[in-house]
Amino acid sequence: MDEKLKIKFIPYEVLKNKRTRDLISDLKKNTIIIVDAKLMPREEARLIRAAMKKISSKFSGIELNSLELSEIKKDKTWSDVIKEKIIEIILGKKRGMTIIGPADIIKKIEKDPTDLLLFMK
Amino acid sequence: MVGGPLKRLHNWLKSLIRSIFRRKTEVRLGLYGPTNSGKTTLANRICMDWIGEKMGKVSSIPHETREIQVKEKVTIEKGNKKLVFKLVDTPGIATKIDFEDFVKRGLKKKKAKQRAKEATKGVIEAIKWLDKMDAVLVVLDASKNPIDQVNVTILGNLEARNTPVLIVANKIDLKRANAQKVREAFPKYKVIGISAKKGSGIKNLYNELFELL
Repeated sequence: MDEKLKIKFIPYEVLKNKRTRDLISDLKKNTIIIVDAKLMPREEARLIRAAMKKISSKFSGIELNSLELSEIKKDKTWSDVIKEKIIEIILGKKRGMTIIGPADIIKKIEKDPTDLLLFMK
Repeated sequence: MVGGPLKRLHNWLKSLIRSIFRRKTEVRLGLYGPTNSGKTTLANRICMDWIGEKMGKVSSIPHETREIQVKEKVTIEKGNKKLVFKLVDTPGIATKIDFEDFVKRGLKKKKAKQRAKEATKGVIEAIKWLDKMDAVLVVLDASKNPIDQVNVTILGNLEARNTPVLIVANKIDLKRANAQKVREAFPKYKVIGISAKKGSGIKNLYNELFELL
């Protein structure tokens, strides 16, 4: 990885229409991707699978972690849950954020639990 | 990256239809979790207890299990009740695999690269098999921080597929193990504390399997 570190902010609406292999290609070029939503579980699984297919001596995989706004609030009432669901349906995404980066430069991404902490190697 | 609402509806219908039809013929119980959480140790414990033979090799080096392993017709009993299932041990799921980590653990470079290559295939297979499971034991190392992205991804994917889940907080024999921390991390799920290696809590797990399947 000779390229300089880049940080890319991608709206979820753009990311969900991007091909997974394009994302992995970005990650292989020293890019950290920040998304304005929590990825869906199937998207996370797809990303891990795609990363596994590209692992080599120069790319050891990815680090990812995400925050979901609804997880942060404790002691939620039923109306909070319903409100969150309605917002999720309207927006078509889980409110929060996701950080994805190449494992060769990121040591870990930790949930704090209301913040995401990114530790570089 | 995602096919939108239609794709989600398609996935949901697929998992619903699969769950209706497969339950009549065979039940697949999967062991999922991150690497080195003790999945194969638990699979061996279950197999030794009920069919008298081991399932696979265990090792302290991560990614020892690199292929899906299936044991057919495992039958467990509780009083007059019998439970027959296919036990599926899966490779540990990881987001990164660096052959240098295997070298640090004493493997020769060539073997380490080979192991890394096989491990990546194992992770891909394990993810593919998520669709085939009727119920899953998510095996976590109770001595580690449970709020790990891999654990969250596994549980999220099982929830998205409506797959019944029981979390197994393994390695409770270790001093720093804390099954309560696992419960607090995943309050939506039932968590059973066990030591697959020593056998503690295992009877409780067998009882829970009758509820799960």
